[in-house]
Amino acid sequence: MNKKIVSGLAIAAAATLALGVVATSPAQAAAKTSVSLAFEGPLTGGDAQLGQDQIPGAIYAIALYNAKNPKVKVTLVKADSQCDGTVAANVAPGVAANKAIIGVIGTSCSGEARASFPAFKAAGLTMIAPSASAVSLTDPKAPDRGFPVFHRVVAHDGFQAPALARYAAKGVTSPKFYVIDDMTTYGGPLAKGTLATANKLGSVVGTDSVPKGTADYTSVASKVKASGANVVIYGGYTTDAAKLFKALRDGGYTGILASGDGTNTSDFPGLAGKAAEGVRLTAADVPFDKLLTAAQLADFTKITGIKVPGLYSTTAYNATNIFLDCITKGALTRSAIQLCVTNGSWTGAGGETIKFDRYGDIIGGAPVGGYLVKNGVIVYDSVA
Amino acid sequence: MWPLPFGGVATLHNTLDLNRSVDMNFSVITSQFWSLALQGLSLGLIYALVSLGYTMVYGVLRLINFANSEVFMVGTFATLFIETHVLGYAINAPSLHGFKLIYTLFFAFVASMVACALLAILVELVAYRRLRARGANRLASLISAIGVSIFLLESMRIITISRPMTTPRLLDKWSFGTFHGANFRIDTMMAIIFPILIFIVLDQFVGRSRLGKSIRAVSMSEENSKLMGININRVITLTFCIGGLTTGAAAFLYTTVYENTVFNVGFSMGIAAFTAAVLGGIGNLRGAFFGGLALGLLEEFASAILGSQWKAVTVFTVLVVVLLFRPNGLFGEAVQQTRT
Repeated sequence: MNKKIVSGLAIAAAATLALGVVATSPAQAAAKTSVSLAFEGPLTGGDAQLGQDQIPGAIYAIALYNAKNPKVKVTLVKADSQCDGTVAANVAPGVAANKAIIGVIGTSCSGEARASFPAFKAAGLTMIAPSASAVSLTDPKAPDRGFPVFHRVVAHDGFQAPALARYAAKGVTSPKFYVIDDMTTYGGPLAKGTLATANKLGSVVGTDSVPKGTADYTSVASKVKASGANVVIYGGYTTDAAKLFKALRDGGYTGILASGDGTNTSDFPGLAGKAAEGVRLTAADVPFDKLLTAAQLADFTKITGIKVPGLYSTTAYNATNIFLDCITKGALTRSAIQLCVTNGSWTGAGGETIKFDRYGDIIGGAPVGGYLVKNGVIVYDSVA
Repeated sequence: MWPLPFGGVATLHNTLDLNRSVDMNFSVITSQFWSLALQGLSLGLIYALVSLGYTMVYGVLRLINFANSEVFMVGTFATLFIETHVLGYAINAPSLHGFKLIYTLFFAFVASMVACALLAILVELVAYRRLRARGANRLASLISAIGVSIFLLESMRIITISRPMTTPRLLDKWSFGTFHGANFRIDTMMAIIFPILIFIVLDQFVGRSRLGKSIRAVSMSEENSKLMGININRVITLTFCIGGLTTGAAAFLYTTVYENTVFNVGFSMGIAAFTAAVLGGIGNLRGAFFGGLALGLLEEFASAILGSQWKAVTVFTVLVVVLLFRPNGLFGEAVQQTRT
């Protein structure tokens, strides 16, 4: 080959490499004037209320951030994965392909998280989940763990499940538990996690697993009634919980009904009707309206259009603020965000310290709250 | 204790653990036999009504109307729409009584049946008639029916943004009484009595009326029916219409008993009803009816004995075993004469 051509090619190659380095250097990243965060969760579908309750927390945090006129503005991209792993597996690659997105607030459901991991791990896209609570997502031994991209600002079901059993049996002299799950990534382990505590507090007189989406719960209701149970715990989501609890009440069951945070959505009382009254629910969340001043709450309503913040808007707010703090500190690429989230420490809306362990859980866990349905509204009761 | 067809109490491997093993609990048969039987009848007869929709069309066209599941779905939304938008009852409206209750339920019942019948006729016009007139391959009709089904499903998904909807409890679920744990609730009894009445009327109509005889004639031989002066298109439209009516009745009963619906409610119902039709002997009215009954009872008892997670496995295992020994279904040969 001609020497001139060879040297020309070498110069061109060197120039290309140099430009390439410059293109991905922090200096270039710092020149960005806007980045995006994605919220991934159910925005439509049977479990939509879960996501619709959370997203105002993210919208509020971003609005407050942008109002300060920062150098880098942040926009929110909505990704609707319907609390369905199959849908999430199709949605997540699209989110990962959007280069403007540098962090994901999500997912809301554990099944969604598991299905999103392949795309987000490949893209190095950091997740901070407001409510995905299945233990396996951060279990170092679990094959479906989300390490290194997954983090969550909610206590996992290892904390929630015993609390659910305790809260369900609160005030019951000799509790006889009947534990039912919906066979999902979330519901199955949550229900199973209540068994040890239930056996300590009383006795477990029966268990059943009914696939999510089942229409007819009458045979379960018959079994529960015949078992003599006085406390029913359901591990599953709102729509099915409403059907199950209706069937139980219609079938003559008069004992305690309890469920976890998958059922603790503002549409539950409407879907379950009279059967919702007195239902005991848990969630590793402090109601956002209890943390805001009157002026802040008015501001929240003005920005989001929501009068009463729903469940996990606090954790969504916290998750968003972690990303926003990292952005403020100059983390404007996916890798920089991952480094910042993994090593940083923050103060949550309730004054608690948020720092993640190696596998993405909050160090020290978080308290689990007990909620009651009263007059068609879910109200915070006490620590579960 | 009321005598049972089988005795004994046995509990095998009841681990009280949420694992996926088979926890057989035969004690529920003795303790809840009548309760499970009543619920199985109620559920099975709703299946039977939808199953009649499949079997009527199959009897005449020898084709599966895959859009029937979505006809059912539209029927549930029609009931909801009538109750909440036409009659104006809020979701938390108090239950009705007396003449107002009868009038309201009757209106919703008829409206659901009419809506489903009209939709079924439309499905026939769009998905079947033109293809039939052009002598298209039978597979083409199947695909076009699936296309209509997907169109209806996705349209409803968009309209409702996939959200489940609940219906107002207009019918207070009072009970006539209990019998060995079986609660004879008004909605359960409606779901048993209505389908039986509808089936008797339909059976008599197909067996005795002139139009019913024409349906049977087309079912036996389309060519000969033409030679006898029967209007084939009219008969086929009538068949779809009847299938729509029974499916609409099922949709009303489903909504009244379970008080909820969602855009994909027809999927599992369609699978169950189609299974019932095949189990009983597809193309056979009595087969569809008793197939639905058998399926409902099987589901209830399988859920109770093995656990709900084994319900589908049990049902389809039984279906396969039945078909191995009786390829035409339980009633496929025994009551061949009643073929539509």
